[in-house]
Amino acid sequence: MPQITMKGVSKNFGDVTVIPQFDASIDDGEFLVLLGPSGCGKSTLLRMIAGLTGITSGTLGFDGEDVNEWTPSRRGVAFVFQSYALYPHMTVRENIAFPLLMDAFRKWHHIPLVSSVMRWKLMRRPDIVERTNQIAEQLELTPLMNRRPASLSGGQRQRVALARSLVRDPSLYLLDEPLSNLDAKLRTQMRSEISTLHQRVRKTFVYVTHDQVEAMTMATKIIVMNRGEIQQIGTPDEIYEHPANTFVARFVGAPPMNLLPVRQQGQQLTLEAGATFTHPGQLPADKELILGLRPERLRLQPAEQPGIPVEVSVVEKLGAEVILGCRVLHPGGGQSGDLLRQDLVFVRISGNPHVAIGTRASLGYDAAGVNWYSPQTGKALHPAAAPLLSCSA
Amino acid sequence: MTEQTLLERPLAVPAYSARTSTARRRLNGLLPYAFVIPPALYLLVFMFWPLGKQIYLSLTRTRLANPNRSTFIGLRNYERLLDNPDFYTTLKITLIYSVMAVIVGVAVGLVAALALNRPFPGRTLVRGILLFGWAVPNVAAALVWLWIFNERSGILNTIVTGLGLERVSWLTSTEMALPSILLVTVWQVSPFVMLVMLAALQSVPEEVKEAAVVDGADKLNVFKSVTLPHILPTLQLVSLLVMVWSIRRFDIIYLLTGGGPVGSTSTLIVKLRQVAFENHDLGLSSAYGVVGLMLALSVAAIHALFNHRRQKMSSR
Amino acid sequence: MNNVHQIPTRLLHILLVLALTVFGGFPIYWMATTALSLNSELYNSGQVPWPQLANLPSMIAELAQLPLMRWLMNTSIVAVGTTVLSLVLGALAGYSLSRFKFHGKGILGFLMFMTQVVPEALILVPLYAMFITLGLLNSLFGLVLANVGFSLPVAAFIIKGAIDAVPYEIEESAVIDNCPRISVLTMIILPIIAPSMAAAAVISFFAGWNEYLFAATFLMDRDLWPASVGLASFVGQYETPLSAVMAAALIFSLPAVVFFLLIQRKIVAGITAGAVKG
Repeated sequence: MPQITMKGVSKNFGDVTVIPQFDASIDDGEFLVLLGPSGCGKSTLLRMIAGLTGITSGTLGFDGEDVNEWTPSRRGVAFVFQSYALYPHMTVRENIAFPLLMDAFRKWHHIPLVSSVMRWKLMRRPDIVERTNQIAEQLELTPLMNRRPASLSGGQRQRVALARSLVRDPSLYLLDEPLSNLDAKLRTQMRSEISTLHQRVRKTFVYVTHDQVEAMTMATKIIVMNRGEIQQIGTPDEIYEHPANTFVARFVGAPPMNLLPVRQQGQQLTLEAGATFTHPGQLPADKELILGLRPERLRLQPAEQPGIPVEVSVVEKLGAEVILGCRVLHPGGGQSGDLLRQDLVFVRISGNPHVAIGTRASLGYDAAGVNWYSPQTGKALHPAAAPLLSCSA
Repeated sequence: MTEQTLLERPLAVPAYSARTSTARRRLNGLLPYAFVIPPALYLLVFMFWPLGKQIYLSLTRTRLANPNRSTFIGLRNYERLLDNPDFYTTLKITLIYSVMAVIVGVAVGLVAALALNRPFPGRTLVRGILLFGWAVPNVAAALVWLWIFNERSGILNTIVTGLGLERVSWLTSTEMALPSILLVTVWQVSPFVMLVMLAALQSVPEEVKEAAVVDGADKLNVFKSVTLPHILPTLQLVSLLVMVWSIRRFDIIYLLTGGGPVGSTSTLIVKLRQVAFENHDLGLSSAYGVVGLMLALSVAAIHALFNHRRQKMSSR
Repeated sequence: MNNVHQIPTRLLHILLVLALTVFGGFPIYWMATTALSLNSELYNSGQVPWPQLANLPSMIAELAQLPLMRWLMNTSIVAVGTTVLSLVLGALAGYSLSRFKFHGKGILGFLMFMTQVVPEALILVPLYAMFITLGLLNSLFGLVLANVGFSLPVAAFIIKGAIDAVPYEIEESAVIDNCPRISVLTMIILPIIAPSMAAAAVISFFAGWNEYLFAATFLMDRDLWPASVGLASFVGQYETPLSAVMAAALIFSLPAVVFFLLIQRKIVAGITAGAVKG
């Protein structure tokens, strides 16, 4: 089972550079999620690992061996497509057995007409029948074996696609947004099924998605990408708690991390709106900073307590928690000018307390839950004494 | 950003088109040719080599009795064509025949499509019957039309004499032969026009028509301002096809009149055969054929030009 | 007022449909009527303008005088051969045009379009000369080779159009499953586009079925004549067994009519697509 290494991998389509340079490695048994907005090159990267798309420059290695020129089949990977790519003219049984048949085919079996005869013969070979049935049973497809993909539901098709990729027992599973065509409820269910599958087969999974919830729930390691470049590599916890830059901070988490541009004077921080408050801990050296706070790190306090002065303008009740959208107040007491929602500071409160719109309050937080970013580079900054908790590759 | 979104799933750029330099990729790069070469070679051998040979023949003096002995004489056959009044007659007949086939065939087909585009009981049956002319093989069509046109006992002359008129020499008089052949051509061609136009008419967006009606347009206006512009490109395409087919049509003319009487239905392609097999002059015969081919190609080129202009205009 | 306006339009519509139906259907009706007439009526006493089923036995007896079975057998051989060769080569060409990038792709497309413009008669003589050299004259196989040049491009355009609509991912999935390109085509793509393959097959079949000029030129042996040549041999003859000939023509037309009506839309799409590509 390979350790996958990518050294200086890049991809151009004509004049357009999709991936300028990519360096990363994937360990055996890992569940790696490539996370990023659409158009960030994550699918291209996955297709390059599979061998479906050529590599413009750089080296892709399996256990140190250069596999750039290996055919997809030689790489021994399984690929689950977003559209499932089931063979519409074959039954579920034939779909699942197809990779086994291809492995059993000799070269001359591919001669037209001979291939049909061989397929017919091999579909009856005991070991192939047994393996197909076994996989179908694992994925609860046994009653559907003689149906065609067109008559299956989305979730069933998804399971057939998984079964087809499992049947060859490959060492590397590549999944390209496999859940994006499912409805929300089924997605949650399939998420845990895929996680269970990963734990059972103990193989390497590389999973592409733009959905940060999928990434957070399934990954052992996440690579966040944007515009073909790695933004951060880390465990879900690292990515969530210590985003390496403002892009990751905004992309991961819903609602996203609050990013407040501030100016520091000693322990005093001044917001753009003019409000001033005291930071309860250490600060980086820079004068201009971006204060990053997850919504759940903020506390709603009575207005007279120290903190960021706000007025509640949006209340979203989700049952187990309440999301508040707050507008920062001017020192004089008025609201800051813009009415755009993105200027809201989000606060997540667990439970179901009643908060009225228009309530004036102060937002408090602990120094431990704070991330700092440079307004110029967008990169994370650290208070002098704090250890480096995350870094980009 | 949008460009990147488009490229993120690079379906249009599959793996095998990637440029790389190693031997394996080069082998992969040869794969398409393994697929392309059999059909391409076939067309070269059985279509374009004979075509080239024929074009070459038009530059030689070659007799049918000895087709492999030919003397190169340059453009002399074409000079002979230009000096020959027969050629101008043939060219004129070809143009009249094909232009009339387009005008009448497309008109009848379009009217049939409009008539069938509104529902009435038995529409599917009528539609099937209207397609007969298109589906019946040329030889069978020629046989039945020969009988219909038969001067002594044909149904047309039975009707004509029943009306107290003189018998008409449908296929054997110089005035009537070309119109008669056109009638058969229209019978064969208009069903195809109808099918294509019917498909085009059914793709006219209903909402736009309704919007025009709401705006106070009457039926004729709706047709002129909504339907016609929508079906115009299709109409143009189908006219091109009918024109090209008419220029290259052989079977039905040859079987009905053989080009006669006195060459009055002799189009370039019918003449091509006559000069080759009756005058045994392969060089001159080829020259007739090449002119026919050029005519068909220039029609196609004009169409392509129109298409190009329209596409450029609509993309502006 | 609206109603007053509508009645003439509806009447006009009905008359128009009626006229078109007569024009379109009459020759076939007349074929059947003539087939079911006695030759004596046809040439002397005048034709009865409706089919006389009572004449069916005499028609069958006369039909037995014609070598119709052999003609149709030859026609079928030519048609089947044309179909098989057109589909095999058309599938290769259609797949290449749809999926590959290669040098000369534009040229191939143009050449295929050209075949739809080239008159059969134009390549007749060189093909004849070539067939003498290759020993393909007077052979049904040679006739097939000549026919395919014209039907292959149409088949290829239909197949290309159908493959264009198949998602790449299905093919890539097969490639990952260790399936070489030839089997991707034969085991995955072609079964998926089976309906279009059927349409291409029908078009090629009837191109071979209906073909006359090549058959009339390349086949000297009467035993090899297909129905088109056999039937055309009655053109211009005195004392034709007309009712039998019409019956034979009807039988000869029937399969073409049935199949063309069944897949009319596909055929139209294929022919127009080929023309647009050029």
